[in-house]
Amino acid sequence: MHPEIALLNDFLLVGAALFGVGLIGFVSRRNMIVMFLSVEIMLQGVSLSLAAWGRFHNDFGGQTLVLFIIAVAACEAAIALALILTLFHRRCSLDIAAWHFLREANQPPFRDVPLPEEPAERREPWPRLPPAGVRPETFGEKDKYRPRV
Amino acid sequence: MTNHQHILTLAVLLGAVGLWLMLPRGGARGRAVGTVLGIVALGLWFSQFHGLGQWTADGMFFVLAAIAVVAAVGAVTSRNPVYCAIWFGLSLLGTAGLLLLAGAQFIAVATVLVYAGAILVMFLFVLMVAQPEGKASCDQMSWEAGVSAAAGIAMVGVLSVAIGGILAPSCPAMPPIAPPTQEELAAGVLDPHQVARLGDELFGRRLIAVEVAGTLLLAALVGAAVIVNQFSGRRHDGQQKTV
Repeated sequence: MHPEIALLNDFLLVGAALFGVGLIGFVSRRNMIVMFLSVEIMLQGVSLSLAAWGRFHNDFGGQTLVLFIIAVAACEAAIALALILTLFHRRCSLDIAAWHFLREANQPPFRDVPLPEEPAERREPWPRLPPAGVRPETFGEKDKYRPRV
Repeated sequence: MTNHQHILTLAVLLGAVGLWLMLPRGGARGRAVGTVLGIVALGLWFSQFHGLGQWTADGMFFVLAAIAVVAAVGAVTSRNPVYCAIWFGLSLLGTAGLLLLAGAQFIAVATVLVYAGAILVMFLFVLMVAQPEGKASCDQMSWEAGVSAAAGIAMVGVLSVAIGGILAPSCPAMPPIAPPTQEELAAGVLDPHQVARLGDELFGRRLIAVEVAGTLLLAALVGAAVIVNQFSGRRHDGQQKTV
């Protein structure tokens, strides 16, 4: 096989793998930032394919397109992160499931599966100290608002 | 089915099961098994590559491709979003190395500068603002891990078959383009003054597109400022937060 065709083949395959992995991440992950990272991985796959095709056609068009992809990705990152921050301020969570009420009217509501309890870390017991010194003075009701310090 | 297709099918099956096991599924076990299956699938899939002809170039290519793909899988399957971002940075470095190997020097450097230098830092910044404690419960679960892993890996398999079929010498659909010779490449995209040629192309033939991209960047800047300000202005008005 011609070495240039072999190179094109290999680069296209790696680009396809990056695209597929990014797609899996976008579809399956629930954190908005991770979803967005997955989209960037998909863009990387496309960039790789474009660069390989540009070399095969011996033309700078592929590399030019990759540059425009980078520019659009920068715009997209700015807008999307601003949107994600706004959404986070509304819900105090990056979970995309917090917005499930935007679904269609005939869709059932999303019910989160409760996470299994994590194995509680073995907590070191506090040391038991013998009582020492005098009992501190308390002021009863005044402890709550402390008129003087 | 040929031997080639058998190996590819096996790689797709192992990869789908491995990714399903690797994705967060609410504390379910099997991540190490998934990693092993994924590495085996990657090896099988790499065995279907043609190679670049020289063993040095081959070694570079396979190391860089493995870094790019493995780090991408790590970015997609990590439980902690900060680790996702770090894996993504590693994947970017692998991709940049591959671009360099293909002879696209400027693109490789621009990828590292713009993605790893600016976009990734912005991701980490937002992550630190929004979720400084690292893990959250939504990172421990995925939507339909099995179905999405099967669909994505099946798409990679189908694309592999399609790419291999199109580029095979006997394919009737192959565009009648002779691959470039080394001399043509040296006068074209592999020119020693490649960056100057690329700039010539950008600011000559594609000048209007460059201007449009600049306008787009400006619009994105203004848009991001408006989106964030709109919200903070509403909060200062004393309107109730919908939490």
